[in-house]
Amino acid sequence: MAKHLPLEGVRVVNFGWVWAGPVVGQTLGFLGAEVLKIESAARVDMTRNLPPFADGIPGPNRSLSNHACWAGNGSVSLNLKEPEALELALRLIATADVVVENFGPGVMERIGLGYERLREAKPDIILFSMPAAGLYGPLEHVRTYGLSLTSLTGLDSLVGYKGGDPVPVENAFSDPYAGIFGAFAVLTALNHRRNTGQGQHVDFSQQEAVMQMVAPAWMDYALNGRSGGPKSNEHPTAAAAPHGVFPCRGDDRWISIAVCRNEEWQGLVAAMGSPEWAATADFATLPARLAHIDGLHAHIALWTRDFDDRELATRLQEHGVAACPVLNVGDLLDDPHFRARETFIEVTHPLGFHETIYGAYVKTSRSRPDVRPGPAIGADNERVFRGLLGIPDADYERLVRDRIIY
Amino acid sequence: MTPTSPAAPLGAPHGALSGIRVIDFGQMVSAPYCAKLFSDYGADVVKVELPEGDAARLAGPFPGDRPHPEKSGLYFFHNTNKRGITCNVAHPEGRRLLLNLLERSDVLIENNLPQRMRAWGLDYATLAATNPDLVVISITPFGQSGPYSGWNGYDLNAYHLSGASSRYCGRPGEMPLEHGTFSADYFGAVTAAAWGLAAVYGRDQAGGGQQVDVSCAEAIAAAFVGGQNIGCYAQEGRFDKRTGVGMPLGAPATILPCRDGHVWMLALEPGQWNGLRKVMGDPEWASLEMFQDMYSRAQNADVIYEFIREWTMQHGKMELMEKCQAAGCPVTAVFTIAEAAAQPHLKARDYFVDMEHPQLGRLKNLGAPFKLPACPGGPERPAPLLGQHNGEVYREQLGLTTSDVRGLAQRGVI
Repeated sequence: MAKHLPLEGVRVVNFGWVWAGPVVGQTLGFLGAEVLKIESAARVDMTRNLPPFADGIPGPNRSLSNHACWAGNGSVSLNLKEPEALELALRLIATADVVVENFGPGVMERIGLGYERLREAKPDIILFSMPAAGLYGPLEHVRTYGLSLTSLTGLDSLVGYKGGDPVPVENAFSDPYAGIFGAFAVLTALNHRRNTGQGQHVDFSQQEAVMQMVAPAWMDYALNGRSGGPKSNEHPTAAAAPHGVFPCRGDDRWISIAVCRNEEWQGLVAAMGSPEWAATADFATLPARLAHIDGLHAHIALWTRDFDDRELATRLQEHGVAACPVLNVGDLLDDPHFRARETFIEVTHPLGFHETIYGAYVKTSRSRPDVRPGPAIGADNERVFRGLLGIPDADYERLVRDRIIY
Repeated sequence: MTPTSPAAPLGAPHGALSGIRVIDFGQMVSAPYCAKLFSDYGADVVKVELPEGDAARLAGPFPGDRPHPEKSGLYFFHNTNKRGITCNVAHPEGRRLLLNLLERSDVLIENNLPQRMRAWGLDYATLAATNPDLVVISITPFGQSGPYSGWNGYDLNAYHLSGASSRYCGRPGEMPLEHGTFSADYFGAVTAAAWGLAAVYGRDQAGGGQQVDVSCAEAIAAAFVGGQNIGCYAQEGRFDKRTGVGMPLGAPATILPCRDGHVWMLALEPGQWNGLRKVMGDPEWASLEMFQDMYSRAQNADVIYEFIREWTMQHGKMELMEKCQAAGCPVTAVFTIAEAAAQPHLKARDYFVDMEHPQLGRLKNLGAPFKLPACPGGPERPAPLLGQHNGEVYREQLGLTTSDVRGLAQRGVI
């Protein structure tokens, strides 16, 4: 029996740019939807020009990071400054189920693609908008970068070394997070459309979606009025000890150890060879260990530092302790677990070069996606404009020549 | 938003996901949050707890730090809009009851370690034989396959296995950091919600139910870390590590202290930089040649951050944010949780909802993560007390009588 992916037959027109919007498309694409990113050589997305490039040759169709983050999206190129391009976009939307965009509020209206206009083209269209702070409200036009958006949620105030200043997370965790979350939101709207026939304009505020991640600290605020702050790698609700990252042998090698249950503590003590300090009353119970957590962590760090991180993790796991090496980027590609799960795959781009991207990072037993390389600009132009929209050859050639399809 | 009374009929048909029947057999954060996304948008979610209850009930935060299984903030947050039952699946009768419930369900969401599910006789093969249309969403630190699938693990282990902390969080030479929350659990939860809901939505097309195997570590290693790093490493054999600075290649782009806390100081593009200069009152140093583009500013980071810090320390975070934003510069205040809670913007958007819980009383909760104007979602009913809906669910769903249910309780099955 041929494999069928769950979202086959769903068509998504994706105006998303940079990272979060393309990941919405990617997620839906991995799940079987046909996703067509609208972009233009007239204003190339900045992530297409991020080095490194395939084989070291610069070019907007050779950015390795762009290809990984955009894989799953198709691409059609339209210079939306041209009225004819806008008409083509609307004709395409008329055949689609979902439109995705991550501009600021009001931008889609300004370029002539507001929700009302889209509804005229397709009455049950789902428009998914994911501005930083939502479609309305006093901060609707707040300027943020992906990596600073989290400052508006309280999350950044929690990241750092215990008792110290906040430490910035050096990339936009919220972009792929909101991108995948956004795909869920699109699916809820698709389900509602299936139930009722109704489309809608989804207002996905990245701030609000991401802010749910602060729930443990939020609840401490709601219940106790406390605001929280950096506490290294300690448990978010102080329900486990030890709970941290400890140095191992070698340069920048570390192991994470989390002890939530008593059996795990016994296992750790046994693995450490039952040192005297571990038998004292200070560490006998979870409340005692929490009360003496700095001392506890210092003891453990003195023990872990002489071990190889992987060997120690294996040994602790044999004692039932949740312990894991802390991997760096260089470790990921050869890690036996990620290799076994084919987390990263080498693909051949239509332009002929090989590149390594991430594959289907969720394993679905019935409908595993075939992940293909990220799209070259306009890779789907012919199929979409000639095939799907039935534009005659002569017209198509003119549109390309006049840089409408561009 | 429509405030709905806690007495609203359970499972009333509204919401985007109405009609989808879900069993949440999870604990702590990942599976419960995934299931909450289903229940807050209208699916009928029954939370199945072991007799001792979800471990979150013991994890707090608790009012006044006094532990009480019905007063856990963590449990409260992640289990809204669900009905709750208990079931001892280690007991043959209990296992049978869960399988009977799964026969009548569309989705199972769980986050038990794979060996635990096997020990209970609840491996995927058994579940699929029970109900071939069931979508089984399993969210674990490492996943159902691969050499670490038999390992014990929690959020912390998964996060640090993903490469995210080594690459992006912490100072060089010092320990890599998690984000002060359950970042891996949340990432796994939203990943599972998206892929899992797709499997339900497209179930007929796909040809039936299936297992959706989410490894929290893998999802982050791929979609966050891998996306921007793995192609480079594979091709060029080099990789970067955390620097402790927001953006090492451009400046200013980091968190800086100010009079009353911290701000995210960002002024990269020329327009942003000029805006910042204006707000700073055009200090002489800012006109120096070495500060005229983001790259050279980054090469002189020590100098420029010291200059800017001198200025930010004289001002409050809200003032800095307001003035910089008005000048086209994307500076934001690093909100504490209390400041986030007091934001007029979130109030104007009705993000917060007041909820009533029989043990916790009235409290302010975070509302729906996204707005569906045609079928609003969000938490309405508080998390269930342990076994609160035993009678109702076992009677309605499995057709048991009141005395059957009493018998099950007496035999320690529920």
